[in-house]
Amino acid sequence: MLLKMEKITKRFPGVLALDNVDFDLREGEIHALVGENGAGKSTLIKILGGVHQPDGGRIILNGQEVHFSSPVDSQKAGISVIHQELNLAENLSVAHNIFLGREKGSWWNIDHKRMRKEAEEILKRLSFNLNPSAVVRELNVSEKQLVAIAKALTLNARIIVMDEPTATITEHEVERLFSIMKDLKKNGVSIIFISHRLDEIFSVADRVTVLRDGKKVASGLVEDFTKDELVRLMVGRSITDMYPKYNVPKDEVIFEVEGLEVPGFVKDVTFNVKRGEIFGVAGLVGCGKSELALGLFGAVKSYFKKMKLFDAEVKEIKNPMDALKLGIVMIPEDRKKMGLILDLDIVKNIATANSNLVAKLVNISWRKAKSLSNEAIKKFSIKASSIKQLTKNLSGGNQQKVVLAKYLFREPRLVILVEPTRGIDVGAKVEVYHLINDLANRGTGVIFISSELPEIVSLCDRVLVMHRGRQITILEGNEITQENILRAATGVEVA
Amino acid sequence: MKRFFEWMRRYPAFVGFIGIVVVFSLLSDRFFTISNFLNVLRQVSIQAIIAFGMTIVIISGGIDLSVGSVFAISAAVLASILKTGNIFLAILAGIAVGGAFGLFNGFVIAKGKIQPFIVTLATMAIARSFTLVYMQGMPITGFSRTFRFIGRGSIGGIPVPVLIMFGMFLLTWYILSKTKLGLYAYSIGGNEEATRLSGVNVDMYKMMIYTLSGTFSAVSAIVLTARLNSAQPIFGQNYELDAIAAVVLGGASLSGGKGTVVGTLFGALIMGIINNGLNLLNVSPFYQQAVKGAVILAAVLLERE
Repeated sequence: MLLKMEKITKRFPGVLALDNVDFDLREGEIHALVGENGAGKSTLIKILGGVHQPDGGRIILNGQEVHFSSPVDSQKAGISVIHQELNLAENLSVAHNIFLGREKGSWWNIDHKRMRKEAEEILKRLSFNLNPSAVVRELNVSEKQLVAIAKALTLNARIIVMDEPTATITEHEVERLFSIMKDLKKNGVSIIFISHRLDEIFSVADRVTVLRDGKKVASGLVEDFTKDELVRLMVGRSITDMYPKYNVPKDEVIFEVEGLEVPGFVKDVTFNVKRGEIFGVAGLVGCGKSELALGLFGAVKSYFKKMKLFDAEVKEIKNPMDALKLGIVMIPEDRKKMGLILDLDIVKNIATANSNLVAKLVNISWRKAKSLSNEAIKKFSIKASSIKQLTKNLSGGNQQKVVLAKYLFREPRLVILVEPTRGIDVGAKVEVYHLINDLANRGTGVIFISSELPEIVSLCDRVLVMHRGRQITILEGNEITQENILRAATGVEVA
Repeated sequence: MKRFFEWMRRYPAFVGFIGIVVVFSLLSDRFFTISNFLNVLRQVSIQAIIAFGMTIVIISGGIDLSVGSVFAISAAVLASILKTGNIFLAILAGIAVGGAFGLFNGFVIAKGKIQPFIVTLATMAIARSFTLVYMQGMPITGFSRTFRFIGRGSIGGIPVPVLIMFGMFLLTWYILSKTKLGLYAYSIGGNEEATRLSGVNVDMYKMMIYTLSGTFSAVSAIVLTARLNSAQPIFGQNYELDAIAAVVLGGASLSGGKGTVVGTLFGALIMGIINNGLNLLNVSPFYQQAVKGAVILAAVLLERE
């Protein structure tokens, strides 16, 4: 056994984050750690990474008890944590990031050439297709992921912790990541893998440990579990239907756009949305589907030949204010960067987006804003200590619900949801799916944009697939399969 | 009691204020008197009014380096019109000039998408230069008694500048806590992109915020001009730094989204009391800047999360 964490207990003011949790890791295995948001996964990882110190229990590495009082200690012991946020220096090159803090040469004369050369060798050895001189800012998320992995490996990490590495990358890139993980495993590196996507756990992990409410509820070989069992263990109850679908599509077209163009990202996209239908948009990262949403919402410059919303001709959408006036809302893809003002509480977040409801001209009625927020908490079952809780202290799922709440108060006529279930737990996902069905049935147009193919396949009535900014096809009915979407999304011609 | 401690945590500047008052009271018997307090308040009023406007700007994630120069040009225009007679028109023109420069700042920042630091640095230079040209480098002095009342008079024993300061304080407090502009200042400072995507006219509100800042500078300029019975081309130099210091001492974050006008008031008071106390103790002015600097550093170190 390479690593043993025994009876780890951690208390935070008011919560028992970890309660006598055992966790172990063998050499050369991929061990999945699953649980809902708030189950204690991150706390456990932070203890292993030296960020938090446990209140009880011990960590045994290679048969010796160790104490990590800082992330540096843990790193020196060969443990490398790749956080979801990746923590790369965006303005530096790939090579400089790989050697950050351990630059070659001397402090008065850094050997840039040597670093570039060594980085190139490392990348080649890993068969990562990356240019060591490329600036990290210009890479896409999965490429950044590779930089973080390369960096971890040059630290001679024997244990790599990956915190939701697949949350922001597409199916196609996930496969690449998995083959890299399997290679690492062959070379004796052990990986702790955190993911909300159960399919991935079954395809890559050897063992799995389930946490719920700070306790370990199960652990064992992946083969010994079924997906339903894992969900039941995580949630504490069984979810009968992961992808509820009960919307009733009608023939009436309620929204149509012709020749939509977002300069540099989207070219000549034409589609319509029917009453009651869930219209999906799929494609790889960088295919332009996020920009399509931003363009329709007026958040980036866009042009179209024709647009119609409920029989009314739309001339132009110059900015989000125009879009909102028409009744078009977008649930943005990155809730932390685009959805919420994290330092403000729930009331203020909701008031900012609904000043037409809470303010006459200049003065805000905080009484109204509060009652609106209480309504939102009830309607969207947001779990918060009060409406005065800062949104940065909410869990991912609840943050997403606040974002949904703040936009849906406007009773929109067309909703564009971009990756609405990214990084939220199973229970919250199902709630979002219910909401999407309800919206469609209420007669709101629904455009559902996602990189998670299972949810696209299960929920959508029609799916527009994009590749390099262009519309490849619109799949319908039985044609909507993961395979067909992937083929179109990677530019392979569809029959 | 628990709520009191909570309040103290929220307004660390208040705690610092109490601490400094206690220290100076122990060191000097002339310090803890009503007349001295009124004196401090009157001295502080000029900087505090500017700092209130700066509070809104800093909460919105911006900064306004031009307040000192805008102060000077407002005073110059005010003084030159006063010379021709009409007080009302002069005050209106002074405020309008301040507001116009603020609007210019806001326009370039919002529409040109240039960092506030750079834009207001440029305006700082331009407004100063305009002032020197306008006044030909010469002060304008000697105004009517009525006008001087604004700076030297008192109502019910309280100096008029102090009353004006409290008026501006209440106005700022109202703006920040009760109006859309206030809410959006916090929203824009907290996350501009999310605010824009929420359908807020971010550009317009930014322009309003900088216009307010310019207007507040002008109000302050009126008070000082009346008090000194003179407007001078070098008015307001380094006032931007005093204002920023007061806002930061008050607990606002220069990265935006955080801050209160109550904090700023106490921040300004701390600065004023240090000046006053050190004077009473006959400490050489050469040391006073260092003490102020040290207090600012200590305060921000203590306020770290």
